[in-house]
Amino acid sequence: MKNVLQWNPPEGLQEAEVTYTVQYFIYGQKKWLNKSECRNIKRTYCDLSAETSDYEHQYYAKVKAVWGTNCSKWAETGRFYPFLETRIGPPEVVLTTDVKSISIVLTAPEKWRRNPEDSPVFIQQIYSNLKYNVTVYNTKSNRTWSQCVTNHTLVLTWLEPNTLYCVHVESFVPGPSRRAQPSEKQCVRTLKDQASEFKVK
Amino acid sequence: GQEFRFGPCQVKGVMLRELQEAFWAVKDTVQAQDNITSVRLLQQEVLQNVSDAESCYLIYAMLKFYLNTVFKNYHNRTVEFRIMKSSSSLANNFIVIMSQLQPSQEDEMLSISESAHRRFLLFRGAFRQLDIEAALIKAFGELDILLAWMEKFYQ
Repeated sequence: MKNVLQWNPPEGLQEAEVTYTVQYFIYGQKKWLNKSECRNIKRTYCDLSAETSDYEHQYYAKVKAVWGTNCSKWAETGRFYPFLETRIGPPEVVLTTDVKSISIVLTAPEKWRRNPEDSPVFIQQIYSNLKYNVTVYNTKSNRTWSQCVTNHTLVLTWLEPNTLYCVHVESFVPGPSRRAQPSEKQCVRTLKDQASEFKVK
Repeated sequence: GQEFRFGPCQVKGVMLRELQEAFWAVKDTVQAQDNITSVRLLQQEVLQNVSDAESCYLIYAMLKFYLNTVFKNYHNRTVEFRIMKSSSSLANNFIVIMSQLQPSQEDEMLSISESAHRRFLLFRGAFRQLDIEAALIKAFGELDILLAWMEKFYQ
């Protein structure tokens, strides 16, 4: 739940020295609040993760541009709901191979932490219906298949020995707005089948 | 398949995703009409830490209110904002859910049902403090909060 406000610079001001100021608002509360680290800044983004860390609240944010003695109107977002709109990061994936199988151990992504010392909150503590979409690609047969699981361990069986398999996993929570980000593709080779090797000799 | 379990109350045959998508399609349109951002009807005190036992009473009261008050009186707005399809989908699904909810009327459940009722009164009280038009728009715009809470009971 790292929440970063981003915007485009105003058109036609390429030559001017433009700075920006950001404010945010918690829906249901009374007033707009300043984000001190995003006052008179030149960059076109502002990290509001700390301010929006309570994912059950809803938020608005707005930004205005200042150049010379001029000042733009505020540009305001719609109502932002972290609980529904966050993008679920990829899980950590550990693969262990055998002759005809690959064991997969998944670790759910963590919620964004304000301070590294804060104890981690794993995403499935927030979304009990977190699922994983495991995609496997057999590089020899060019065959790809996927399976959706809810628990953290999975064994792929009936694989071919001495074959390179590539795996990537996406953690997702059902819901129209929540996009998911797949893990990096990892490729491992199943072990050689010693038995069939002896026969060949 | 998946179903809602509000404590002892089970609800089958409703796809939560359909409800979420119906609202999501009109979220920006509806919420943009709500200018009173300093008021939240579904405050955290209404929906936070609701026990399983309370949940059936609370969802029954909420859906009944949305059907009898919000959807009913918001109808002409749905035409104006061209959100009829979403509004109908939400209302029809709410009718299906309500038809399967049978909150227990046993005496021993009285304190639990009263606790749920207090939560509902918090919501309705905030609703009644607003001009009816503004309240209808706000209540409709807060369906994402209600659906997010309902998601916790969807298994």
